[in-house]
Amino acid sequence: MTLLEAIILTVITASTPLLIAALGELVVEKAGVLNLGVEGMMIMGAACGFAVAILTGNTWLGVIGAILAGAVLASVFALLTLGLAANQVASGLALSIFGLGLSGVIGASFVGLQREVMPKLFIPGLSDIPFLGRILFNQDPFVYASLALLAGVWWFLFRTRAGLVLRACGENHTSAHALGYPVLRIRLLAVLFGGACAGLAGAYLSLAYTPFWSPGMTAGRGWIALAIVVFASWLPWRAALGAYLFGGVTILQLHAQGAGLAVPSQFLAALPYLVTIVVLVLIMRARSGASAAPAHLGTPFVPDR
Amino acid sequence: MSVTRRRALLGLGATAGAAALGGTAHAQTPLQAGFIYVGPVGDFGWSTMHDVGRRRAEEVLGAQLRTVHVESVAVPDMERVVQQLARQGCRIIFTTSFSYFQPTVRVAPTLPNVFFESATGTTTAANLAIYNARFYEGRYVQGVIAAMKSRSKQIGYIASFPVPEVVHAINTVMRGAWTIDPAMRVRVVWVNAWFNPGREADAARALIDQGCDVICQHTDSPAPIQLANERGVFGFGQASDMTRFAPRAHLTSNVNNWGDYYVERCRAVIAGTWRPGDTWGGLASGMIRLAPFTNMTPEEVGRAERVVEEIRSGRLHPFAGPIVRQDGQTVIPAGQTLDDNAIRAQNYFYQGIDVQMPS
Repeated sequence: MTLLEAIILTVITASTPLLIAALGELVVEKAGVLNLGVEGMMIMGAACGFAVAILTGNTWLGVIGAILAGAVLASVFALLTLGLAANQVASGLALSIFGLGLSGVIGASFVGLQREVMPKLFIPGLSDIPFLGRILFNQDPFVYASLALLAGVWWFLFRTRAGLVLRACGENHTSAHALGYPVLRIRLLAVLFGGACAGLAGAYLSLAYTPFWSPGMTAGRGWIALAIVVFASWLPWRAALGAYLFGGVTILQLHAQGAGLAVPSQFLAALPYLVTIVVLVLIMRARSGASAAPAHLGTPFVPDR
Repeated sequence: MSVTRRRALLGLGATAGAAALGGTAHAQTPLQAGFIYVGPVGDFGWSTMHDVGRRRAEEVLGAQLRTVHVESVAVPDMERVVQQLARQGCRIIFTTSFSYFQPTVRVAPTLPNVFFESATGTTTAANLAIYNARFYEGRYVQGVIAAMKSRSKQIGYIASFPVPEVVHAINTVMRGAWTIDPAMRVRVVWVNAWFNPGREADAARALIDQGCDVICQHTDSPAPIQLANERGVFGFGQASDMTRFAPRAHLTSNVNNWGDYYVERCRAVIAGTWRPGDTWGGLASGMIRLAPFTNMTPEEVGRAERVVEEIRSGRLHPFAGPIVRQDGQTVIPAGQTLDDNAIRAQNYFYQGIDVQMPS
C-alpha cells in the first residue's frame, strides 16, 4: 500500500463519525429543529454501544444499543422542545452536558475493558481493484453505512414526497400545519433520526475507531458535526465534502508533522477550523449575505386548537 | 504536643466542629485527606494513577486515614474545591496537576492549617510541597528497547505539548536508542492534547504509515498502543500498565506509582512531622516503575533489565554529558551531568534529532 492510499484510507475513517452525525443533524434542522445536543447523544452512543457490546459479546447488538441510546436521549429533547415548546438552544446545550455526565455514569464500570477492533469488510472483487478498490472497499462496515446514509438522506429529502413535507415543516411550519401535515410528529421523527445517527457515530468511536470506553472520548466531534451542517448550507453532499475536508486537513497536518515539515503544530492543529471559517465566509459572500438555513429553524411550533 | 495544637486549630477552623475537642477523641479521629484530579478517574492515565495511589494510601493507613476525591476539576474551579475540602476537614490536599500549581500557590497562604501537595510545581511554601516522578528514566529504557525492536530504525513519538517535560523525554528516548544503534531516527507528532483518543489514534496511524515501527506515546489514552497492536508494530504504555490493550504490541509501560508517597506524606501529617519538600522520585525510589516486559526475547529483556539496574543504582544517568544541542552548541561536556533545574527547563533537542522544535 502506498503512502497516498494509506492517507486517504485514514482520512475516510477519521471523517466517518463526523459525516454520520452531521447527516442526522442535517435532517433535524431541515425539519426546523435546532438540536445542539449532538455531542451528548454521540457520547451516549459511544458509552451504551460499548457497554452492550461487552455485555452481550456482540458488536452488532452494541451498534443497535448505541442507536437506541442516541434516540432515547433525543426523545428527551423532543419532549422538552416539541412537547413543551421549550427553548431549543438551551435544551440542546443542556442535552450535551447531560449526555456527557450520564455517559460517564453508565460507562463507569466499563472503563479499562477492551474489545477487538471491528474487522474490515472486504468486498470480493471490488477490494482488489488497484487504488480505488483499496481505499474505498477496504473499510469497516461503518464507512459503507455512512455512504449509504448519505445517498439515502439525499434521496429522501429531495426525491420523495415525505422529504418535501419535512422540508416544508422547516421552512414554514404554519403553512405546513394549515395544509394538514402533523408538524410535531414529523419533527419528532426527524429528531429521533438525528439522535440515532449521533448514537451510531458514537458507536463508531467506541467500537471501531478506538475500541475502548473512556469518559469524554468524543472530544468535541459533536460540535464539529454541527458546524459541518452550517458549512454544508444544509445540503447532504456538501456535508460529506465538509466532513472529508475536516478529516482530511486533520490527518494531513499529522502527516506533515511526522514528515518534519517546519510549520508550527499549533497552527496545523488550528487549520481545520480556519478552513471551515474561510469556507463559511466565502459561501456567505457568494450568497450576498443571505443564509441558506431553513426559515423556521429553531422556532417552536405550538398548534392553536 | 504539636499534634494536639494543630488538631485544636483545625477544630476551631472546621465549621461543623465534627470532632469533639476532648483529648481521647483525637487519637481515634482519622486524618482526612483531599485529592483533586484534573481528569476523570477513568482516563487510564494520569488521574487514574493518582486515584490508585489514593486507594493504596487508604489501604495501608486503614482507620487512620479518610480520603475525599473530586475528579475532572477545571482549573478555574480549583480554588473553590480546595475551600470546600478544607471546610470538610481535610488537613492535607493533593492537587494533582501542574495546571493547578498557580491556584495552589495563591490559595495555600489563606489556609495555613492545611498542607498542600502539588504534583509538579516550581516552588515550595510553608504549607506547600511539590512532588513529581522522573519519568525520563523510564523513557531512556524505552529508547533502548525501541532500538532493539525496530527494523525500520524509526521511532514514532506522539507528543502532547511542547513543554520541557515532553521535550526532555524525547531527548532521553533517543539517548537510550542511540546506545543500541546510532542510526535511530525519531518522527514526532504534536497532538496538542493530553487526552483525545481519536486524534492520538490518527497520529499513530500517520506515524506508522510513514514507516515508524515502534510507537512511543506521551498522551494518556490507550488508543496509540491499541492501534500499534492492530497494525502489527510495537508500542509503550503510558502511566498505567497497558498490556491488556495491546497483547501483541506492548513492550513495557511507564507506570506512575504515587501510593508510597501518599502514605509517607499522610503519615507525616499524622505524626506532626510534615515539612514542605521538593520530591522528584525515579526508578530507585519506585515512584515510577516499568510494567513487566512483554513481546521481547530473553536477551532483549536481559539488556533492558541491566539498563534499569544501572539507572536505579545511579551508575547511568540519562542526562550525563556530553550534551550537544541541535544547533551544535555544547550544553555540558563529557564528565558532567545536567542538574535538576536544567532538566526541568530543557527546551532544545539534541544533535541527531532532525525534528524542528515547535515555536
